Amino acid sequence: MTYKDFDLSRRTFLDRVLMAAAGAGMTAAAPWAAIAAGTAAATSDRVRIGVIGTGDRGRTLIQNINKTRNCMVAAICDTYEPNLTKARAWIGAGTRTFSDHRAMLDAGGLDAVVIATPLNLHAKHVFDGFDAGLHVWCEKAMARTIPDCSAMVKRSQDSRKILQIGHQRMFHPTYLNALRRAKAGEIGSLTQIRASWHRNNSWRRPVPAGVSDRQINWRLYRDSSAGLMTELATHQLQVGNWFFDAVPTRVMGSGSICFWKDGREVYDHVALIYEYAGGRKLIYTSLLNNARYGCEEQIQGSKGTIEPELGRIYQELPPKALALQRMRKEVARGQKRTVPIGGATWFPELPVTTPGESLGWGEYDETMLQFEGFGEAVRANRALPGLLAQAYAASVASLLGEQAMDRGEALTWPTSLVTI
Amino acid sequence: MSIRADVERFMAMGTRVELHRFGPAGADDALRVARRAIEAVDDALTIHRPSATTALNDRLLAGQDAPIDDPVLLDALLSVETVHEATLGLFDPAADRRFSGSAWHGIVFDRATARLRAPYPVAVDFGGFGKGFALDRACAALRAAGVTTACLSAGESSIAVIGAHPLGGGWPFAVPHPFDSNTLLVEVELLDQSLSISATVGAGAAAPERSAMLRPDDHAVITAPRCTVAVAASGALAEALSTALLVADPARADRLLDRDRANRFRFDLTPA
Repeated sequence: MTYKDFDLSRRTFLDRVLMAAAGAGMTAAAPWAAIAAGTAAATSDRVRIGVIGTGDRGRTLIQNINKTRNCMVAAICDTYEPNLTKARAWIGAGTRTFSDHRAMLDAGGLDAVVIATPLNLHAKHVFDGFDAGLHVWCEKAMARTIPDCSAMVKRSQDSRKILQIGHQRMFHPTYLNALRRAKAGEIGSLTQIRASWHRNNSWRRPVPAGVSDRQINWRLYRDSSAGLMTELATHQLQVGNWFFDAVPTRVMGSGSICFWKDGREVYDHVALIYEYAGGRKLIYTSLLNNARYGCEEQIQGSKGTIEPELGRIYQELPPKALALQRMRKEVARGQKRTVPIGGATWFPELPVTTPGESLGWGEYDETMLQFEGFGEAVRANRALPGLLAQAYAASVASLLGEQAMDRGEALTWPTSLVTI
Repeated sequence: MSIRADVERFMAMGTRVELHRFGPAGADDALRVARRAIEAVDDALTIHRPSATTALNDRLLAGQDAPIDDPVLLDALLSVETVHEATLGLFDPAADRRFSGSAWHGIVFDRATARLRAPYPVAVDFGGFGKGFALDRACAALRAAGVTTACLSAGESSIAVIGAHPLGGGWPFAVPHPFDSNTLLVEVELLDQSLSISATVGAGAAAPERSAMLRPDDHAVITAPRCTVAVAASGALAEALSTALLVADPARADRLLDRDRANRFRFDLTPA
């Protein structure tokens, strides 16, 4: 891709985000989108970012930061040298590298930190970033416990520093367009969302010599992760809250280590029901031994369904007019008309397989846009509105779901959360 | 003065069945008796749950003689003999891709002892024929109960009428183009007749419970976009004819059509 091509597709992408964000009801539903997409003129005064954690995800973030027009990677840090070595391929020759995040913070020269470390370290790294006087962008989920999530929000408020959490779907033009169309009433009243993230692999990474399984496979152990709930479900719970424009009132669920009995501690099978006001529900499943239904949110309304991962919108089929019923009524009125028949044999209640229509506006670089929005927020010292509330609710929902499964109880939404 | 009408609706044979009776009341339970007649056919001919037909097939597949104890099944097999002949052998409930050479003509049907025997593994699948056959038995039940005006439907692709339309004359029906509901393929009027529509396209054609349409002699699967319509004196014959017209090669299709061009239709729906 030439720079010109990149610039054109970037402009198209941003235009689509702006168009979606301008829809009725979207200012309240996604106030961050227009701000993020409407800014970021190229500048020499870039926001200087230190990246803590340069594993797979951290390196992806570095690449996206490099694409922005208002941010730059000024330093990187990882305790695992091979990760640093790989990350050096994506940074300038003069970019400083550290094996201790405290040393990086103490060295100064940063405006913000990006945190892409194991989940149980997020809170500590966020606190250290705030203590160093920096703004913080942190990968989702926020933290390993609900109190830590709350403490992160509180520390952000107290320090008057920005805390932004990585939920890229909130910047994805297809999702924004899906929300716009739902807000416009195209699929009627939303009553249920079925969300799933199904994979068929162990989720286990090979462990190189010199490091422990728990370091590499931290997602599989309870002290460092809630597994499927914090690493996958949190994305889709955010989507559910977003489309319902609410947080759940209650959650119940069942979790098990059903297939991968390899010493892991986190569930490889989860099924939960999140209840929302008015009887609405989000039904969530995630598993690691069947990929047939993959990753999707089926947003179901009285007039249609949206499946944003597939990028499709489906209208409910009108009830079939039964020709002979109509004929009987006409005869009663003394009318004799030709009866159209042969519509096809009627099969009862099978899934509707109509193709629907494209939602339009596929993905481009929503993670890049997140950082441009973050850069703008850092420059203005004003958080993009709405983002942290969405992320906080999604993280709490994922961790509350874990607790509900562990206890085998329906749990109500906590009342002790920090007000944003 | 309004015309009295009542209706019985229910699920049978994997589709929606409607029995509409018009005019002076006959026996109060006529529609219920007709419904039971259809359900009895479903119970006897289905291959989707244990039935007299699945028991028959078990024996035929095992290479054993198969006595026919069920009177509905026996009646259906007798009807198959008739319509198989009338369709140049193109309606064949024994055609089965699993078994090369399987065909109705290879089955020995001893009417006197009500037994079937086959020299090779074979199974009977009545398919859509069952709907027409069931409507015939329901019509017979209604007539026996004194009903003189009725319209019966099995999934709106199988229709049978008793007598004339309640407002006089024939019962007018139209078959829309499956891809364009504003275009009609054909209009017909029925008078004490049955109508069957078969198609390789349209809603339901790809439903998982529906079997492929096979040409009996070469077991070719018919996938060309096509729709056929047949009007006949009985539902069983109408169903057999619409199926035969659908699977027929051009020469045999013409032979079947030439016998009654006013009541048999075959539409090639290949996009221009």
